[in-house]
Amino acid sequence: MVPSDAELLRLMLAGDEQAFTALYRRHKGLVYRFALLMSGQASVAEEVTQEVFLALLRNGRRYDPERGSLKAYLCGTARNQVLLLMEKERPYVQLVEESDEGDAVQIAQLISGDDPLGDCARNEANRLVRQAVLALPARYREVIVLCDFQEMSYAEAALTLDCPIGTVNSRLHRGHALLLKKLRAAVRLDSATPDAQGMRCFA
Amino acid sequence: MNCQNFEKLALDLARNSLLDATTRDQGLIHTEGCERCAARLAEERALLARVRAVVAEIAGEEPPARVDAALLAAFRAQTAATASSTVIPAFGRSRHWSSWKLAACAAGILILISVMAIFWKSTSSRMPRREEQAVAPAPVNTPGHPAAPPDGRDQMAAEQPKILPKRVHRRESADSPDEVEVVTRFFPLREGEDLTTLDSLQVVRVELPGSAFGEVGLPVDPETVNEPVKADVVLGQDGMARAIRFVR
Repeated sequence: MVPSDAELLRLMLAGDEQAFTALYRRHKGLVYRFALLMSGQASVAEEVTQEVFLALLRNGRRYDPERGSLKAYLCGTARNQVLLLMEKERPYVQLVEESDEGDAVQIAQLISGDDPLGDCARNEANRLVRQAVLALPARYREVIVLCDFQEMSYAEAALTLDCPIGTVNSRLHRGHALLLKKLRAAVRLDSATPDAQGMRCFA
Repeated sequence: MNCQNFEKLALDLARNSLLDATTRDQGLIHTEGCERCAARLAEERALLARVRAVVAEIAGEEPPARVDAALLAAFRAQTAATASSTVIPAFGRSRHWSSWKLAACAAGILILISVMAIFWKSTSSRMPRREEQAVAPAPVNTPGHPAAPPDGRDQMAAEQPKILPKRVHRRESADSPDEVEVVTRFFPLREGEDLTTLDSLQVVRVELPGSAFGEVGLPVDPETVNEPVKADVVLGQDGMARAIRFVR
């Protein structure tokens, strides 16, 4: 029988290393990908993941299973960490990201696979979606990442963001409208000026 | 259903959210007769399909091994720290608490004294300085006790006494020559500091609660614990309290 998150957490707080490892393995991807989608940077996602689990080690006793899932609790912590880091780097925000390594990875992805043309189109579409998500204001981005990318229910997202379900609902609608608008614009812009990419909104 | 109502529904239809069957049917029927709303629904579905493609693309992305290692090290360090604190025997814990409490109280007194010293300095700069405040009061020898050094510095450097009442010096009060003050020796407030090496010192008369006796290891009378007691505090050039003696 697979132990529940609450049981693993209890064991972890009692000093059980296997419980900690199991809990970390179970949720590290979720936290990392949430931070990655929110920030668009692997380094930030790394830092956030580390901070989230360090916070769980320090303050794990604060988690109340009756209030919601551990997944929501961890994503809530991750969200606070991401916003904190974004706020810190706000004065240094780079409107056009220039990463040789990133470009190299993208090129490698574009030429890989059995169907290079199909892969190319898919990767390009995915890249546009991720960039459009990053360009959303944080309050819409976080709702879209939680509900669409992490497939959380509205109730879980509301718990994660510490806001009413109605707010999640309205932000998701507004976020989708903005995302579609940005995607339409990005498709036009992308075909005209390939360099104007990687913009992230800090509103 | 009109287009405005459909707009509110489009996302939930695209997401296949749990909807009332009637509402769902009405929405879908509306798209059959409204090209604009049909396109709107198709657009939402296409967006969600793209989102799912991104989810599939990043499904394998996880933090690098160095994060795993760092967290495991942090967990082990925390577990070791917790374990070491739980194996301390009962008397050890109580001693630890006692010394912590003592340190906190001592810090509180130091802050109080420093504030009073600053206050005294600011008032003394506006008023003519009284001589007895600027120099250390010279203890008067009492029968049966060794002579005290004239400037009081050697007393401060002396080791901390265990009992207060027997180790007193007498001096005449500067305020009224007829009144005799009983003073203790100076107790150093910073462990291991040699006060004789300091260039200049200043003595300030202050009033503290009776509990202050306990901070230097002297017995505290529970009945007078809240009553004010006079004390002479030795301040260094930096304004920090270095030693204290009690006056009665």
